[in-house]
Amino acid sequence: MADLRVDLGKFSLKNPVMTASGTFGYGFEYKDYFDLNKLGAVVVKGIAMKPSHGNKTPRVAEVSSGMLNAIGLQGPGVDKFLHGAEYLPFLRTTGADVIVNIWGKTVEEYRDVAAAMDADSEGITALEINISCPNVKEGGVAFGTDPKLAHEVISEVRKATSLPLITKLSPNVTDITEFAKVAEDAGSDAVSLINTITGMAIDIKTRRPKIANITGGLSGPAIKPVALRMVWQTAKAVRIPVIGMGGIMTGEDAVEFLLAGASAIAVGTAIFADPYAPINVIEGINKYLDDNGYDSVKQIIGALEI
Amino acid sequence: MDHGEIICNEPLDHGYNRIKFHVPDIAAEAQAGQFVHVRIAALRDRILRRPFSISNVEEDGSLTVIYKVVGDGTTVLSMLPAKTPCDLMGPLGKAYTMPEAGEIPIIVAGGYGSAATYLLAKRAPTKGILLLGARCKDDLILTEEFAATGFEVRCSTDDGSFGHKGLVTDLLDNVFEEFKGKKLRFYACGPTPMLMALGPILLDKGYADGELSLDHLMCCGVGACFACVVRIKADNEDGWRYARTCKEGPVFRADAVWYGDK
Repeated sequence: MADLRVDLGKFSLKNPVMTASGTFGYGFEYKDYFDLNKLGAVVVKGIAMKPSHGNKTPRVAEVSSGMLNAIGLQGPGVDKFLHGAEYLPFLRTTGADVIVNIWGKTVEEYRDVAAAMDADSEGITALEINISCPNVKEGGVAFGTDPKLAHEVISEVRKATSLPLITKLSPNVTDITEFAKVAEDAGSDAVSLINTITGMAIDIKTRRPKIANITGGLSGPAIKPVALRMVWQTAKAVRIPVIGMGGIMTGEDAVEFLLAGASAIAVGTAIFADPYAPINVIEGINKYLDDNGYDSVKQIIGALEI
Repeated sequence: MDHGEIICNEPLDHGYNRIKFHVPDIAAEAQAGQFVHVRIAALRDRILRRPFSISNVEEDGSLTVIYKVVGDGTTVLSMLPAKTPCDLMGPLGKAYTMPEAGEIPIIVAGGYGSAATYLLAKRAPTKGILLLGARCKDDLILTEEFAATGFEVRCSTDDGSFGHKGLVTDLLDNVFEEFKGKKLRFYACGPTPMLMALGPILLDKGYADGELSLDHLMCCGVGACFACVVRIKADNEDGWRYARTCKEGPVFRADAVWYGDK
């Protein structure tokens, strides 16, 4: 058994495997499948100040080796997340490291959510600023595709909390490293990437888009090569740790991201195929380390040979 | 979650298929109205599971699903032979509330909504009536199986090829009349337009505790992804909220469902 502990600047995790925001609910939904404390961290679905309906349905469509989604950040809002039995109070009982994904329609809303988490931060390991959801009209990716706005929102959140900050980046830009540098400069302690890639699918019988939002975010194995390339580029461009995600299904996939320079990784869409996917990925990473004579996962982070 | 194998997988009448899984853990727990989430490993470039209503379970650990071949998933599923290993999550979702002794269950089903209500009919302490609607005679499935449970089967078809020509909800008036003063309990499963028409009728007649099985394109099956939502009445400024059919449903009380414009 190799040492799986990883450092992410201001905090460390017992292993490098997280759940990608939006694919694991609030952890509660998977409590009967395995001990959540086995995960490196539980990253919860995006939290805003107020409850949010999300988008109209249909919200998902399956495509080759992946899926499109435009859920639209349906969520309970800050109050319910902090106090509802199926949310943070439950997660606190598991002992798991919890990363709260936050979003808002305005800079002020981002700041207010961060401040609310900061004021009630027991059991919260870090915040992940979502400036990359492609499926909401206001907020989300509007902040993630404009460097000035990205800088403003991250700086304001930075002022509102002393919790470690991760900024989740959008791949729907020309150069993702530009945004990683902005995040670093604005006080983010790490970056996570990639969010979904904007895509589309059409039902040719009805001649209508397959999802109500018309476009949605592509995830799953289909996007892994793109994600891996962006993680590799970003890890070279910034000094802060990079958390890699995009189509990871197996331990081998995760090892690719670690070699490319990710200090931790997240499993997302794979959970829909198999709820145990994150656990299998942890075991797969460990097996790779053992089989190849490594004592610690840290030895393979950024160990890509060129 | 249960790894088992396929016992048999064969065409039923009229383009429907019946598949039986050997999954004793799920079969032992399954209640009427719940579903299983099936991974079709042979479908290599399609990674999501497919949800299917549980039609029947038996003491030998078998679980039966009735399905129609409609897309890539069900096409591949229909080709899997007996003994193929299977990976099912379940039983998932909220079940129908069993009728109490003395309550007469009235099941309203559209298309193969009959499949999802068969276990309810089988287990109901008092037998009642199945009102089954379909496009045509060939789409009326499981009528003999329902009759064998002791349920009376009344049919409607869109084209009049069997039973009443028209909508299944047309059959309700006679039932209300016939059972005046008796304790009825309504259950429904079928296409959304049928359920949206039925719900307000039940409320109007005082059967707010009628139960409708709603669903929508599902993804995770456990309430994590918020893909499969439908509108449910809520105490907020809109009067509704999106509820997850996989977790909070698929069975909802008639008086919980939002019938406003969609």
